[in-house]
Amino acid sequence: MAETQTQSILVVGGGMSGLTAAIEAAEAGYDTYLVEKNPYLGGRVAQFYQYFPKLCPPYCGLEINFRRIKQNPKIQTITMAEVEKIAGEEGNFDVTIKVNPRYVNENCTACGKCAEACSMEIDNPFNYGMNKMKAAYLPHDMAFPMRYVLDPALVKSDEAQKVKDACPYDAIELDMEPRTINLKVGAIVWATGWRPYDANKLETYGFGQYPDVITNVMMERMASWTGPTKGKIVRLSDGEAPKSVAFVQCAGSRDENHLPFCSGICCMASMKQATYVREQYPDAKIYIFFIDIRTTDRLEDFYYKVKEDENIQFFKGKVAKITQDEDGKGLLLRVEETTAGALQEISVDMVVLATGMQPNTSDAPLPVEVAYDDYGFLASQVPRPGIYAAGCTRTPTGVSESVQDGTAAALKAIQSIARR
Amino acid sequence: MSVRVDPNLMKELEAFGLKDANKCFHCGNCTAVCPLSTPENPFPRKLVKYVQMGLTDRLVERSEPWLCYYCGDCSDNCPRGADPGETMMVLRRYLTSKYDWTGFARKFYTSEKFEIIAVTIVGILVGLAMWIFHAGNPNMEHAQLNTVWPAPAIEIGDLIMAGVLSFFLLSNTYRCFKFVMGDLRTKIPIKIYVRKAWELVAHFLTQKKLGECTDKVQWLVHLFIMTGYSTVFMLVVIFLAGGIHVIGLSWDKIMFQRDVIYPFFHPVRLLGYYATAALLYGTTYALIGRIKKRKAPYKNSHGTDWMFLILLELTTFTGILVHFSRLLDLALTTYVIYVIHLMVAVPMLVLEVPFAKWAHLAFRPVVAYASAVKEEYLQGETSQA
Ligand SMILES: Cc1cc2nc3c(=O)[nH]c(=O)nc-3n(C[C@H](O)[C@H](O)[C@H](O)COP(=O)(O)OP(=O)(O)OC[C@H]3O[C@@H](n4cnc5c(N)ncnc54)[C@H](O)[C@@H]3O)c2cc1C
Ligand code: SF4
Ligand code: SF4
Ligand code: SF4
Repeated sequence: MAETQTQSILVVGGGMSGLTAAIEAAEAGYDTYLVEKNPYLGGRVAQFYQYFPKLCPPYCGLEINFRRIKQNPKIQTITMAEVEKIAGEEGNFDVTIKVNPRYVNENCTACGKCAEACSMEIDNPFNYGMNKMKAAYLPHDMAFPMRYVLDPALVKSDEAQKVKDACPYDAIELDMEPRTINLKVGAIVWATGWRPYDANKLETYGFGQYPDVITNVMMERMASWTGPTKGKIVRLSDGEAPKSVAFVQCAGSRDENHLPFCSGICCMASMKQATYVREQYPDAKIYIFFIDIRTTDRLEDFYYKVKEDENIQFFKGKVAKITQDEDGKGLLLRVEETTAGALQEISVDMVVLATGMQPNTSDAPLPVEVAYDDYGFLASQVPRPGIYAAGCTRTPTGVSESVQDGTAAALKAIQSIARR
Repeated sequence: MSVRVDPNLMKELEAFGLKDANKCFHCGNCTAVCPLSTPENPFPRKLVKYVQMGLTDRLVERSEPWLCYYCGDCSDNCPRGADPGETMMVLRRYLTSKYDWTGFARKFYTSEKFEIIAVTIVGILVGLAMWIFHAGNPNMEHAQLNTVWPAPAIEIGDLIMAGVLSFFLLSNTYRCFKFVMGDLRTKIPIKIYVRKAWELVAHFLTQKKLGECTDKVQWLVHLFIMTGYSTVFMLVVIFLAGGIHVIGLSWDKIMFQRDVIYPFFHPVRLLGYYATAALLYGTTYALIGRIKKRKAPYKNSHGTDWMFLILLELTTFTGILVHFSRLLDLALTTYVIYVIHLMVAVPMLVLEVPFAKWAHLAFRPVVAYASAVKEEYLQGETSQA
């Protein structure tokens, strides 16, 4: 066996796939580092209200994973961190990690006194900017690690000292600096996941211009109890309940001018969200505008179930333009019903753009040469010897596949070091 | 009613410039984004579908290709790069060849070799005719065109050209009208035809529909080329001989390209200047646009698009040269350039007007008219029912 320090595994990205890879590798007895950019673990699913197809809250699964991490001394999690450099080769990588200051140390009990003392407010990124939050904040109610964060703007402000003094546990360190950690690892799992395609680029849809045009990820936050509206689905323009909601599928997906591929999950996500609307507003009229409905294998049952709902109309045709109604309240969708060839204008109270998943690697590539496909996903499970891709960094997919992928990557990483 | 499917249609249309229509996955985006498409008359996806399905018989009856002014919005927003705007353009070429009973248009569009040979032959014939029929003692001191080619000869030549051209253009336009009206042609009462006649005029003069497109420059360029061309056409075919002297219809004051040089503000001279400027601007803009593939409508150029623009540009350019060398009173130069001018202008007129791109000048308003008549009739039908 080689040196012990190269027997460890680095996992980058703490979403469903990265979490799984780290835990599985640690439970197989390997030292694992889990590096996450956000101040919390869980990735995108932490922001969801429910999972399709069972419509259960994602936090059940996440809680179990967090417990496994807490119980396992072999996993070291490093949040607010990014990998800056990767040198060396399979079995013997030198990795440089940059950790941004949280300004809050392990003493924090999440009592919230700092937030009470703070008056500065910033956009809440967890809710996609739909509301504001204090600049001394817990990223969200169930965050793991359960520790507060201070925004750098607050630390620089006059208020900083007051906020620090409010902490009864002496957990705030205003002089915390960015740190660099150097690690030696034998294998790397890359799992930096996805981000929603930027809806501002969809010029004909008026996102950003009309407040009642939102995206599917915003809808997840809106439906969540912990979201900006405390779980109420409302029009952001006037806070009123929508009487009709349109889901616009393939918003920027399967489109040469935007994301040329199909994300494979947004049809399911919209149907799931249609059930959110249905739950709150039994009489609301729901439209799903689609080119094709894509639900593979067992997920098709969910499609059939949703289709039975009389108030949910599946409308074949890609929405071309969204404008405001004449009275300035509703939204007007111009779309051709392609089975009959009928050009129509349909008025609704609220629009949800089903944007697709863009790989984070498409604009934040690895700090080492690896193979990508045409869209910026890592090209294969092994994009470079000793580096293994898992989850949506490799292909757009759902949670259960991400978990399987994380497990597979962990096994590959273990094999890679065990071979030596 | 049975529908005949023509499995070779796509292949056939390739010769007319079709490239990407098979990429279409029928999302309907183009039809909903097109500024000219309406619930009564949605396009262009329907036409892309007919093309893919090989519905040749249905296609010849369609009016939509002539209602599209090729703004390119549909192509810019097509998620598949299927370029539906180009499909519409291809269909205009195809329909022009279908309307033409001589089969000449078809050859002209589908074979670049044929196109070049045809233009060259007509050009040479014009040159030869001018050589053979020139007068014995031309004025070599002063530039006086009529001393080389006496007015009656030009008039007769002009008349022959106008006759031939009108015969083909009108017969093809009638076929266009017949195809588009289908069975309804004889069913619709004359009353509606008369009432809707103003549409024909309005469409022709204002290019109103194109004005509804989002790209206003495109509308302006088109308006320039169209009005510039119509003006010249009028000057040449009607006023060249100051009316038509040989049949006793003439008015000296408006003779075009005669040896009198009109004062600057004379209407004929002003019209000539307007036409020249408009054509020069419009044609140059379109040529550069096509070379640079500046926007969707300019991305795919068919051989006939180039031929059309080059002939037009050359005609305008040599026309300007004739004008100046006459003003400078350079006798031989004027005569030589004048021959070249006509060697370019005549093929453009006799080939492009009835058989190719210029034919749309007649088809478009006629189809707009036919559609308006049909729509009014059908509306009456449904309100009675
Ligand atoms: C609207 C919508 C609804 C959905 N609903 C469902 C559903 O109901 N059921 C289902 O099965 N699937 C659903 N999905 C799919 C689901 O979101 C993905 O399968 C899942 O998020 C994939 O997890 P991941 O770990 O691969 O990526 P992510 O969840 O994106 O996690 C990646 C992690 O990496 C971190 N990271 C990014 N860059 C770096 C970096 N440079 N350094 C360190 N860390 C980094 C991120 O902060 C993040 O924590 C939905 C998707 C959408 C768009
Ligand atoms: S899953 Fe559905 S909405 Fe998403 S890209 Fe594919 S077809 Fe479009
Ligand atoms: S031509 Fe393009 S925009 Fe039109 S239906 Fe086909 S794919 Fe959609
Ligand atoms: S080119 Fe313009 S007018 Fe023609 S079909 Fe496309 S969008 Fe409509």
